[in-house]
Parts: sequence; C-alpha cells; structure tokens
Amino acid sequence: MASGTSTTGRRVKQGLISLGWALAGVVIAILLWEGVKLLGAVVTLPFETSDQAMPHVWTIAQGALQPEVRGSDTPVWMTVLIAALYTLLIAFGGFIIGVSVGLLLAVIMQRFAFMERGLLPFVIASQTVPLIALAPLIVGIGNRISFGPFQWGQTQSIMFIAAYLAFFPLSVGALRGLKAATPTQLELMRSYAASPRSTLWKLRFPASVPYLVPALKVSAAAAVVGTVVAQISTGGRGGIGRLIIEYARETTAQPAKVYIAVIGAILVGLIAAGLVALLDLYLTRNLPKEKLT
Amino acid sequence: MKARINLIWPPILIGALFLLAWQALVVIQDLKPYLLPAPSLIFTTFTSNLSLMVETGIYTATTAALGLVFGTLVGILLAMVAQRFFVFRNLMIPIAAGIAAVPIVALTPILNNMFDITSRTPRVLITAIVVFFPIFVNVYRGLTAVPPVQLELLRSLSATPRTVLRVLRIPNALPFFFTGLKVAAPLAVIAALVAEYFGGPQEGLGSKIAASAANTAYGRAWAYVVVAIIVGLAFYLITLALERVATPWAGRTRSA
Amino acid sequence: MSEFAVHAEGVWKVFNEGAANEVTALSDVSLDVRKGEFVSLIGPSGCGKSTLLRVIADLTSASRGTVEVAGMTPQKAREDHQYGIAFQQAALLDWRTVRRNVELPLELAGWDKAKRQARALELLDMVQLHDFAESRPWELSGGMQQRVAIARSLATDPEILLMDEPFGALDEMTRERMQNELLRIAGATGTSVIFVTHSIPEAVYLSNRVVVMSPRPGRITHVVDVPLGDRNEDTRESDAFFEAVTAVREALRGRAKPVGEGGARLAETS
Repeated sequence: MASGTSTTGRRVKQGLISLGWALAGVVIAILLWEGVKLLGAVVTLPFETSDQAMPHVWTIAQGALQPEVRGSDTPVWMTVLIAALYTLLIAFGGFIIGVSVGLLLAVIMQRFAFMERGLLPFVIASQTVPLIALAPLIVGIGNRISFGPFQWGQTQSIMFIAAYLAFFPLSVGALRGLKAATPTQLELMRSYAASPRSTLWKLRFPASVPYLVPALKVSAAAAVVGTVVAQISTGGRGGIGRLIIEYARETTAQPAKVYIAVIGAILVGLIAAGLVALLDLYLTRNLPKEKLT
Repeated sequence: MKARINLIWPPILIGALFLLAWQALVVIQDLKPYLLPAPSLIFTTFTSNLSLMVETGIYTATTAALGLVFGTLVGILLAMVAQRFFVFRNLMIPIAAGIAAVPIVALTPILNNMFDITSRTPRVLITAIVVFFPIFVNVYRGLTAVPPVQLELLRSLSATPRTVLRVLRIPNALPFFFTGLKVAAPLAVIAALVAEYFGGPQEGLGSKIAASAANTAYGRAWAYVVVAIIVGLAFYLITLALERVATPWAGRTRSA
Repeated sequence: MSEFAVHAEGVWKVFNEGAANEVTALSDVSLDVRKGEFVSLIGPSGCGKSTLLRVIADLTSASRGTVEVAGMTPQKAREDHQYGIAFQQAALLDWRTVRRNVELPLELAGWDKAKRQARALELLDMVQLHDFAESRPWELSGGMQQRVAIARSLATDPEILLMDEPFGALDEMTRERMQNELLRIAGATGTSVIFVTHSIPEAVYLSNRVVVMSPRPGRITHVVDVPLGDRNEDTRESDAFFEAVTAVREALRGRAKPVGEGGARLAETS
C-alpha cells in the first residue's frame, strides 16, 4: 500500500514544476523589460525608459560586481546579500514571536469561549492600527525604554513591528483550525474520557494543520514586509530597507545599485516563503492530497 | 437588531476603558509626549488642525482609491484570463505567490525613477500591485470553484465558454470577489501610506507622520495616525456596504 | 442490577426546557439490556433513538430518570472505558496510520506502547485488516474504514458496544457483509450491543430484540422479539425472517398492539 512519502514526493515534483514556470516568467519579464526599452526609444511612452531610469539587465548585473563605495573591496552584491540575510534574521525573529503569541491566543480563545468573545474583537482591532505607518513612532518610544541592563534598541522595535504584523493572520487561522475537528471526532474523544489537553494535542492540533499552513505563509510574508518597511522608515542600520533608501539617492550616478538592493529585498521575501514551504511539506507529510490547500 | 447591539457594545465599552486607562497612565506617570502622548493631547491636536488633517487624509485616500480601482480591474481581468488559458494560469500562479511573499513597497524607488516622482503615479502603481494579489487569488478561486455538476449541465446544453462565464462563473465569483476586496481595501490605504516614505509629494499621511516624528511633534504624528485609522475603516465599511448591495443573500458570517 | 448491561428507567430528555423551542426528545423511556444481548433501536427521525444512545454514552445527560451502565452511572462508565462506540462516520484520524487509530483509546487509557501495539494488531486481525495496519485511512474503502472503527471500539475490551447507524453510509452488499462480521465479533467476545438503525431488515437480522420508537415526544412504543436463532446465509430468505420484518414494520406503522401504556415499560421479557 502506498505510504505518505509518495505524496511528499509528488508535491516536491509539483513544486519544482511551479518553479520551472516561475523561471519562465522571469525570462519573459527580462525580455519584456528590454523590449519596453527598445519600444521607448522609438515611441513616446508615459514613463521614462532611459538607461538611467531603466538600466539594461546586463548593466544591473555588472553593477552588482562593482565595489560598493569607491575604494572599497566589497562588491555591491555582497553588501546587499549581507543586509538581506540580516533582514531575514530579524524577520524570522519577529515571525517566531508573532506565531508563538498567535498560537497561544488561539489556544486560549478556543478553550474558553468567553475569552474568545473578549479577545477576538481586540485581535481584529489590532490590525486597524497601521503599525507599519507608526514605525518611526514605535522606534522613538522603544529607544527610550530599558529593562535593567538590557537596552531596547532599534532592532528590537523593528522585530516587534514584524511580530505584530505576523501574529494576527496566524491567530485567526489557528483559531479556525482548532475548531475544525468534526463533531463526531469530538464525541469520540469524549467517549474516551479524554482531558481537554489530550484532545488538544491528539485531535485539535493535527486537525488544524490545513488551516495553519496558509496562515503561516501570510504571517511570514507579513513579517518580511514589516521588517523591510520599518527599516525604510526608520533607517534601520544594517538592513536592506536602509540600503534601498541610500542607493535610491545615488541613481543619477549609479542607477543600477538601487535595483540590486530591491532584488535583495525580493530575495528576502522569496527565501522566507521557501522556508515556510518546507515547513508546510513537513507538517502535511501525513495528510491526503484533498486536505491540502 | 438586539443581537447586533449585543455584539457592538462590548468592544465599544472596552475601547472606552482602554482610552481612559491610557489617559490615566500618561497623567499618573507624567509621561512626556515624546514617549507616549495622552489621548487628550492627540484629540486637541486633531481638532485644532482639523482642516489640515482632513486634507491630508483625502490626499492619501485618493491615492489609495485610485490604486484600489486599478489593481482590482487588473486582478479581475487576469483572473478571467488565467481561468480560461492554461498556460497563462501556470505562469500566473507562481508570480502571484511571489508578489504575495515579497515587500512590494520596496519597488517604489524604481517606479519613482521611471515615472514622474512629483506625481502620485508611482504610489498608485505600488498600491495597485499590492491590491492585485488578494483580488486575483479570490476572483480566480471564485471563477473556478463552480460545482462540476453545474458545468456538466451547461455542457449538455452546448454552452460556449463565454456563456458559461456569464451564467455560472461570474455569479459564483461575486462572494469570493468581496472576500478579496475586504482584504484589499484596508491594504490599499496602508500601501499608499507607506509608499509616501520614499520621497515625492509631501502632502499625504505617510509623509506627514514621518515628518512629524522627525520634528518630535509626536502629538501631531499620532493625530495623523488616527486619521489613517479612520480612512482605513472607511474603506472597509464602504466595501461592506457594496457587498451588502451586490450580494444581499451573502451570510453574515461568510469568512475568507 | 449489574446483571444488566444497561438499565434505564423513566428517562426523560428535554432540550431548551421552558423556551419557545422546547423539544422532548425522550419521554419516560425504560429499557433493560441483558449481558450478551443484541438490541436495536429503530424509528423515524426525531424518535429519540440517537439521543437515548448518547444518554447511555454520557455524551449528553438525562433530564430525569435513572441510567445504569455496567452497574455504574454513565459518567463513571465512560471514565472507566466500559463501553466502545462507533458512529455513522468512521471518524478515523487522517494523520495516523490505521494501527495508531485503533490504538487511540488505549493511549488515552494509559496503556504502554508495546501492549497497545500488540492489542491493536490483534483487533485488526479480528476484523481481517491485519495487512493494512500501516496504511492511511484515506487509502481504505468506506467499508474497511468502518471495520477499523469497529476494531477501535473494541480496543479496551468493553462489555458494551454502542453503535449509531455505523453502516448507514455503506452500499447494500457491503452492509450485509459488515452485519455478518459484527455478529461474529460480538458473539465471539460476548459483548452486549445497542444498535441504532433506520433499516428494518438490518435491525431484524442483527438483534435478539428490536425496540421500536416514535417521535413527538420520543418514546418506546413496541418491543419485538426476534427468535431467529443463529444467523446464516439462508436466514435473510427464510419465512421467519420475513415475519419478523413484517412485525417490526407493522409496529412502526402503529398498527400492532403497543406494550404497556403511556410509554412502554419493559423490565424483563421472555
């Protein structure tokens, strides 16, 4: 009889096929880019297609290899890569915190109905506050707080913003998932005199996986966006957001640099999505195909 | 009606208590505005600069609305194309997933270069791209999630793809569309706001929040945040109203 | 009273008591099930058969009346794993193998790993699914999934088996096969069975007694004895079977003479 691994194998194959299409999409995008530039040289388009506004693809690639600052040894791509990894790390930290808080809230809200009535409006309301817009203010407040010897710095504020954006989708998705066990399954557990904790671990959590997985994807993306945007609006040291702003100022002299930084930011998002996809594969390794979103 | 009132009063009560607690905290701890301004300070700043607040709010709201409409139209169009053409669908799905995963606002400097940085065009475009994904995903799902039984019925009646689209797929997709719009509308406001952090005209909420924070005018910065919240809520409520008008049969507890 | 597997006396169950949508699901229901007996509950929708089963299982509580299961209160019986239960949905957990599904009640009863595994394989043997122990539930047919559910319901070797239309979702041929299986297993283990069903032939084929119930309010109206002896493949085509089916059908139509007055009391029958 077939076992679970063939489902995983099939999904990896599907993922690779998707990746193939994505690469095809990238190639098409590059062709479009150059095509538009050619067209812009002939026809008047509503936007700038000069080499300064839209550098050729090979100019961008070349620019990646240039030294970052005149006289420096580090090529641009390395600076961008380091900043991207640092940003990924912060986003990851925010993601972990947000997911933990979100899960905890979901478990409490599922277990105690009055907690759900009391907390859920707040959970939803928390998202009407555009924390991303508040980033400069949050950092300002954060810089003045300290817990004993531990100084709350800019990085912590940025991670807080990422966590704040990540916890909501996870909390909502996890709550829905924890309630997804069928009435028959719940009656079965009751017939076994199972404690609420046993029911949680043996039934509710495994049954919630199909709902958790899309929520994790959204949370990861939210954490990345939160981190990058917070870095932009607060000039986060060492982050990719700050690089984008800095390089954006240099577009007259070196138009390619900002493109490389933006590609770096995009990479952060893609790597995060890739990691969540791996987590997805692991969590759903035992599930039939129909349950997967 | 009574049930609806019962739903509304607890959050309002708790919101009011929250504001009171905030005010009390500031007064008792004598917190300086640069740390945490009191609700009273925010309120007075808001009311004494009311016309400026409204103007700023309208500026960003206009950007958001333009981006929302543009992104929605493109999202619907591409969803229809993706439903119809296999190759296009296979290309779009990873691209859409990619758009969802990456910080789109990071593209603003590039668009600022390509388009006129002194206009709102780059910001509208960024907003449109951000809005595109939830609309596309939901409309695509709505167009394709038609019960196979109904498709078989129309096939037996020799219906053309266009007829199937008109008679089955589009009506089926309406609730899904609104699910996506309810996500996209507040998102448009935030995207328009954040896109203003990259330079360009300084009349919008994002620019003003950043500028106020930089000038340590924190009362004003928080007042602009309140405007942003109001604009976001307004967009969401308008979407809800539209949904009620277009699909009056939709259940109250319809969720994404 | 522990000579009885289940003793229910004067059981009432009222939902939403006092409200506008008050429903009397059970009114003055009394039932005794002897050890090793197979009793079916049959009746139209709303007659209370599933509710009665759930009261016995302590999945809901009686508004009034006495219920004893294996000589104890339903709650204690549930906590002591005195009964096994199977529903119309097999309710197997997708993320566990078949064997681990059967082990679930044993895990919750605190058995250690080696004993659980051995017992699960023993049970799967009993339902002839030994080869599928490491398969996933979704790889099995509906009938096979129900066999796993039955194996699981016998995990703790309970005195009593409660079943709520377990074969309802299966096709007719599979149903008849499963009925034979169930009789064989219940006979071999000496388990008492309370079986809720919609199907008259099923109730007659399986049971020593068929309890006919009626709705609004839910109550027992008749009890039909089924003296068919040991079942075999000719039973379904025998005259005695047909007579018993007719008796139950007449009872359901309200044409037979009801036992007792105002809600049947049946303490002991033949």
